[in-house]
Amino acid sequence: MATTTILPKSIPHFLTTRPYFAITHVTNVPFLINNPLDTSFSAKKSGNYRPNCKKKNPWLDPFDYGDDPEMEYGSLFADGKQDEDPRPPDNPDNPYGFLKFPMGYSVEIASLGLKIRGDVRRCCCVIDGGVYENLLFFPIIQMIKDRYPGVQVDILSTARGKQTFELNKNVRWANAYDLDDDFPEPAEYTDMVGILKSRYYDMILSTKLAGIGHAVFLFMSTARDRVSYIYPNVNSAGAGLFLSETFTPDSMNLSEGGYHMYRQMVDWLGRPARKVPRQPLPPLKVSISRKIREVVEAKYKNAGAQKGKYIVIHGIKSDSKASMQSRGDADSLLPIEIWAKIAEEIRGVKPVFVIPHEKEREDVEDAVGLDASIVFITTPGQLAALIDDSAGVIATNTAAIQLANARGKPSFGLFCSEDKARSFVPNAEEKKCATISSKTGKLVDIDVEAVKSAVQIFTMPLAIF
Amino acid sequence: MAETVMSFTVITPTIQCHAPKLELHTFTKSLRHCSSSAFGNGRHQIQVGKSTRNSGLRVKAFPDWPLMAILVEHMEGQRDLITHKSVWHLSDEAMKNVYTFYIMFTVWGCCFFGSTKDPYYDSEQYRGDGGDGTGHWVYEKQEDIEEAARAELWREELIEEIEQKVGGLPELEEAGKKEQLVK
Repeated sequence: MATTTILPKSIPHFLTTRPYFAITHVTNVPFLINNPLDTSFSAKKSGNYRPNCKKKNPWLDPFDYGDDPEMEYGSLFADGKQDEDPRPPDNPDNPYGFLKFPMGYSVEIASLGLKIRGDVRRCCCVIDGGVYENLLFFPIIQMIKDRYPGVQVDILSTARGKQTFELNKNVRWANAYDLDDDFPEPAEYTDMVGILKSRYYDMILSTKLAGIGHAVFLFMSTARDRVSYIYPNVNSAGAGLFLSETFTPDSMNLSEGGYHMYRQMVDWLGRPARKVPRQPLPPLKVSISRKIREVVEAKYKNAGAQKGKYIVIHGIKSDSKASMQSRGDADSLLPIEIWAKIAEEIRGVKPVFVIPHEKEREDVEDAVGLDASIVFITTPGQLAALIDDSAGVIATNTAAIQLANARGKPSFGLFCSEDKARSFVPNAEEKKCATISSKTGKLVDIDVEAVKSAVQIFTMPLAIF
Repeated sequence: MAETVMSFTVITPTIQCHAPKLELHTFTKSLRHCSSSAFGNGRHQIQVGKSTRNSGLRVKAFPDWPLMAILVEHMEGQRDLITHKSVWHLSDEAMKNVYTFYIMFTVWGCCFFGSTKDPYYDSEQYRGDGGDGTGHWVYEKQEDIEEAARAELWREELIEEIEQKVGGLPELEEAGKKEQLVK
């Protein structure tokens, strides 16, 4: 079971000669697995058998034998993607403010797409984790936007992760809610359930590993599609009853998957439907607003750096919550002494040290010197703006390295092992990212000389950047 | 004018249902008969007035029972007029309850109707963060600001994209200007 689900892509079914009709949100229907003993049934529908599909939860609907092969769909609401905005324009001539319905538009069937085609008009993403995990969710949001045109995406995230969404233009509402709290305050809990329910979502996605409790929380939002990761162990018992689609991760820690930590969800979201090909996953992109740029420009100018003539150093060891490391890579911060050695080698451009807490300022001044450029930044938005104005980034495995990739800045990533480097920065070359990993598996033992020689590229003529 | 004969019966509630019938029977024969004596237990004190319609009647209040008196006015050739009278005596406790309710209502009324005229409840301090004036507080202000910021960001990006697409074609803009001039 697990071995089949971790395969990267299921074989697209439209390669077979028979036309394949599937309601989009129940495409993973395994007929053979569902009725292993019913040979006549299996033989009849064996054309629809797909090798990589998951076992369907028989408790959700015991009489769901999948799509009727003899069902014929018309052209209306049956195939293709949904329309951008089904709301007709307002009629200015009408004193009652009625809409101007085009010829043949009938309100009564306007919402049929939700049933037949599986349209998603409002989608909520419940994202667990910190800045890093939320940042890696950005491509999925873009993908949802592309797959379901006109969808409104809302976010429910932790207080820390919510800050990431000032970098995302595709999100409408972002609410903070402590997902990791096993015993939330009843008032907060019911309040959030009420908020989610009253927004009438069509689909709710969750990246928190769900047990029955979290599944019930998602269920109470009354969304049509409740999609979530579940625990890969016995803790997931009962969660499937309340969810319409579940993903089982490889380990208890989803973040260990690196850059593609949500690949099962991506696989499901991008699944082909009637006359819709598989939706590709767009690259990570962030957008920075003018206001943040102005604030950050004032900050780094204050620290004595010029636009485009400094490199950002991120990943100083600190016990601050704002260090923006991934949950899947605990060993991803370097002490300031090593950073100071690396920074000595940088000529021509000014290293700017990003500290996550004001108490680190003294340590940095001690190690580097009083003339060091230090910028105090805790939010991912400001960090992105700082990186966007820089010449390059040297960082450990923090959100800075992903932000540099997203903005197309040259970057050096220092990783504790080769595996981590590969999983967190795949296709490093085309992202202008050079990864240097420690031989011993501990980031502290990283080869400073190698880093120093690699960093020389920043001392090259600036024209190449 | 016919002579009016009146009689009072003070009865206890337990025999209330029998009383009117008995009265009617007895008054036909003996006009001045005090019918209540048949039931009287000696404590009832009854005066019967001959000439005046409303004779003074003094009844000693019972400590806790509601008193009930039945007045029958008998006129020749007409039907009897029967009047039930009851006197209610509130106990100390009941009186206390009434006054308590009264004072509580007054205090609540002063607070409520006083507060409707209080400018504090229309001030920024009270209405400022989320108060919408209906008594329900809506704490979406922060989310609103962030949502507006993201929408602004989306527009910025869109304008940038359009500029990138259109940037190589300045003649398009001129064409647009010409079009405007034509209009």
